[in-house]
Amino acid sequence: MFNKKFLKIDIYAMTWRLPIIVWQLLFFVGPVIFMIAMSFFLVKNYRMTEAFEFVNWSKMFSKNYFWDSYLYTVTIASISTVFAMTIAFPASFTLAFKTSEKLRRWAIFLLIIPFFTSYLVRTFSWFVILSENGVINALLGYIGFGPYVMLNTNFGTLVGYMTLTLPLVVILQTITMANIDRTLVEAARNLGCKPLATIWRVIIPLSKTGLIVAAIFCFILSFGDFVAPFYLGGSQEPTLPILILDTTKSGQQWPRAAVVAIVMMMTLFAVAFIGIALAYRKKVKK
Amino acid sequence: MSNSMKNIFKSPNRRNLLKMSGAAVLTTPFVSRAWAATTEINMLAWYGHGEPDIVAEFEAANNVKFVSKYYAGGDNMMALIAQSPPGTYDIILSDGEFVQQLNAAGYVEEMNAADYPFDDMLHEDFTKFPGHWSEGKLYSMMVRGGHLGVSYNKNAISAEEAQSYSCFWKPEIKGKLGHFDWHLPNLGMISLYNGNGSSLWNLDDAEWAAVQENTLSLRPQVGGYFDYGGTFNGLKNGEMLAMCGIGDWITGVLEKDGAPVGSVIPKEGGIQWTESYSIGKGTDKADIVKKFIQYMLSPVGQVKSAQMLAYPGFCITKAGRAALIEADPAEAKRSHQMDGMANEPISLINDGRIHYRDIPKQQSLEDWNDFWSEYKNA
Amino acid sequence: MNSNRILKIALTAYVGAIFLFVFAPIVFSVVFSFNSQRFPTIPLGSFSIEWYVKIFNDPDIWKAALNSLIVSSLTAVIATVLGFCTAYSDFRYNFRLKGPYIALILLPPTIPLIIMALAMLAWLSKLGMSGQLWSVVIAHSVLTAPFAMAIIRLRLNQMDPDLESASWNLGGSEWATMRYVIIPFCKPAIISGLCLAAAVSFDEFAVSWFVSGLNKTLPVIILEIVQGNIDPQVNAIGTFVFLTSMTLIILAQIFFVHRQIKSTNS
Repeated sequence: MFNKKFLKIDIYAMTWRLPIIVWQLLFFVGPVIFMIAMSFFLVKNYRMTEAFEFVNWSKMFSKNYFWDSYLYTVTIASISTVFAMTIAFPASFTLAFKTSEKLRRWAIFLLIIPFFTSYLVRTFSWFVILSENGVINALLGYIGFGPYVMLNTNFGTLVGYMTLTLPLVVILQTITMANIDRTLVEAARNLGCKPLATIWRVIIPLSKTGLIVAAIFCFILSFGDFVAPFYLGGSQEPTLPILILDTTKSGQQWPRAAVVAIVMMMTLFAVAFIGIALAYRKKVKK
Repeated sequence: MSNSMKNIFKSPNRRNLLKMSGAAVLTTPFVSRAWAATTEINMLAWYGHGEPDIVAEFEAANNVKFVSKYYAGGDNMMALIAQSPPGTYDIILSDGEFVQQLNAAGYVEEMNAADYPFDDMLHEDFTKFPGHWSEGKLYSMMVRGGHLGVSYNKNAISAEEAQSYSCFWKPEIKGKLGHFDWHLPNLGMISLYNGNGSSLWNLDDAEWAAVQENTLSLRPQVGGYFDYGGTFNGLKNGEMLAMCGIGDWITGVLEKDGAPVGSVIPKEGGIQWTESYSIGKGTDKADIVKKFIQYMLSPVGQVKSAQMLAYPGFCITKAGRAALIEADPAEAKRSHQMDGMANEPISLINDGRIHYRDIPKQQSLEDWNDFWSEYKNA
Repeated sequence: MNSNRILKIALTAYVGAIFLFVFAPIVFSVVFSFNSQRFPTIPLGSFSIEWYVKIFNDPDIWKAALNSLIVSSLTAVIATVLGFCTAYSDFRYNFRLKGPYIALILLPPTIPLIIMALAMLAWLSKLGMSGQLWSVVIAHSVLTAPFAMAIIRLRLNQMDPDLESASWNLGGSEWATMRYVIIPFCKPAIISGLCLAAAVSFDEFAVSWFVSGLNKTLPVIILEIVQGNIDPQVNAIGTFVFLTSMTLIILAQIFFVHRQIKSTNS
């Protein structure tokens, strides 16, 4: 089935296989190699000079603040992923199983709209909503609560991450769950499976691939985001993306910033790799 | 299928569609100023320097159009120039301390000192400003400046308390002190607080350790680290009641908007930021760029600079200040740019209460920045 | 029955709450764009359209909007083409080095944008292709292709793997099968991929700032204003973009998808 022609080049297969190779080789591999090479450069007279030194790496790895930031970023991105997946689930479930297909399509299209509005502008809107003199605290004040400090805290950062990731997670979860085999769900219900158990033992396993993909995207987006922890979290504490930007203020230290970037890249790549392996692994038939 | 898809953007249909929509946009009343055969000058600057309130008159008089690229932070500016083909940017506006970096990296052209009004400067220091000259040659022309000190919310801190940086440690503002997210002015202020005076940038090991120690003691007070937008929001919303590392260039705008904030130079001294124009290396428009820099140093230009909508700065020439007092006495008064006023910028410099912002002498920028990252993580 | 209804109401309210969270910042931004104050606080100032007047009179903003439209459309097409080719190759074939092949398209989102931006600028400068709108298109297509690929791949996952061979058995060539079976099946995913790639490109500011040189796109203008001026012009721009995209999406829903549903039903 797969390698039909042994000696002739399979033009059909190559038409689909080659475009991405060519494009990425031209426009992606080049920058990445440059970025890796850059981490070995030296900065002289505020100008990057080509070199092959490990000093950037040893310096960065010796800094406590680097490891503190790394740990914090992994933690807060994981929390963000758990929050987003959990918060989104009831909504995605409802959209997938309790709404008509037409309504579901409208809902998904509406959720794409935030992607077309500036993430920066939406983040700035949160200032007025969350600030101590803002909308939420004003409303809470009427019923005698608060005022609560929400900005410049971990809570603010998480609100920012939700703004970034929630629409995408809801969309991916909904699409996944809407397209699983309904007959299997029905069969489970007919066999007497309670609703919650059906969700846990039938629907989620059937949606495994899509759910893991959604979680991976959420983690990657949160891990690499600069806007939420900076503007809504007040850099309390700084995450790795903030550190990258900070490092460049050390007198053009882009090589050291590249070190942080490569560490981030490898972390995310490992996460994505493990996730995809889990997602696409075919269950072994007994 | 993929082949025909790739052909889609080669077919005439798409091009026609783009042409039609382009024509539709251009026939609207908001026609691009570049339609006439004007010279385009590429400017790399902080926000606001290429806006109509500054350049429109010059553009009309000289048939030029400024195409501006705005950066936030000299480091982004440097990186952009480094990786762009030489001659991309004709005129570069940068902070004083970045001029040294620009020159060291060879990104700017030499300038002719005779072209500029060095004999009309309000202060002698401006004629030989550090970093702008190298081996007797001029590479950058100072055009405006401003002062950094204690910025505070008037409802939370009194004017007397604001006369010293020690108000930042006031227990009542715990969690409400903000930092402008750049190590240089913040650590400079702590250095002044420690009493280092004019050698605030020249710290030996003991003094540097003292600055670090005092900075760390401020950590419990800190509510966050902000950039331009975050600073404005924090001060306006009352989220932050005091900010370290900024001055009138931010609070001035907020004051005009009605917020109860202000900036003063405390008794320990303040810091001056300076902005300067340079001619980009490899440009072919050096003459018109020179003409524009001269325009910005003329009385007309100096008044525009003082009134800049984005953020205010003070005039550096005598003729400029005189013109400002005549054209906009209210602004001259608000920014203390009249002889004899308390907090008048030049007298502050003369009294030794103002120190020019500079890069650290005995430590590297990396050392200061590393500490700043540690401070954030503390 | 009663508990079922209560459950349904609760779930619907929950979905409503999610939508409220997602749209609240947008709604507030619209409100601030009509606010007379430069820095919004509670209570609001008076109604004013001065920010809209300001952006309508600024030819640079119009130019940037056009640039953004051009860039995101081209990016969407290129990214979806690349995504489709790769998703199909992954679905249909097994070959040596398939792992690195997939990695090649999925790696870009893992790289922090600002470093990617500088690296892109450096590389494209060497190729002599920096500072143009095409530079942004190239960079964005690299960044958004993974999203398109993921969506299309998910859709292909739902396709019966025997469908293709059934078509061949019935006498169709590989190309014909692709044209009449696979692509129609993937159509919703292709459209979603196009929309998503366009949307991501439309809002991307970090790479755009570095790579676009003096040809600004709308996110670059918003970034510059936010980092240097901070006034409700950004809210006005944001509102304008929001209303435009909402209109376009609703129109697309009505005309394209509705028609497709009608034709498949009849």
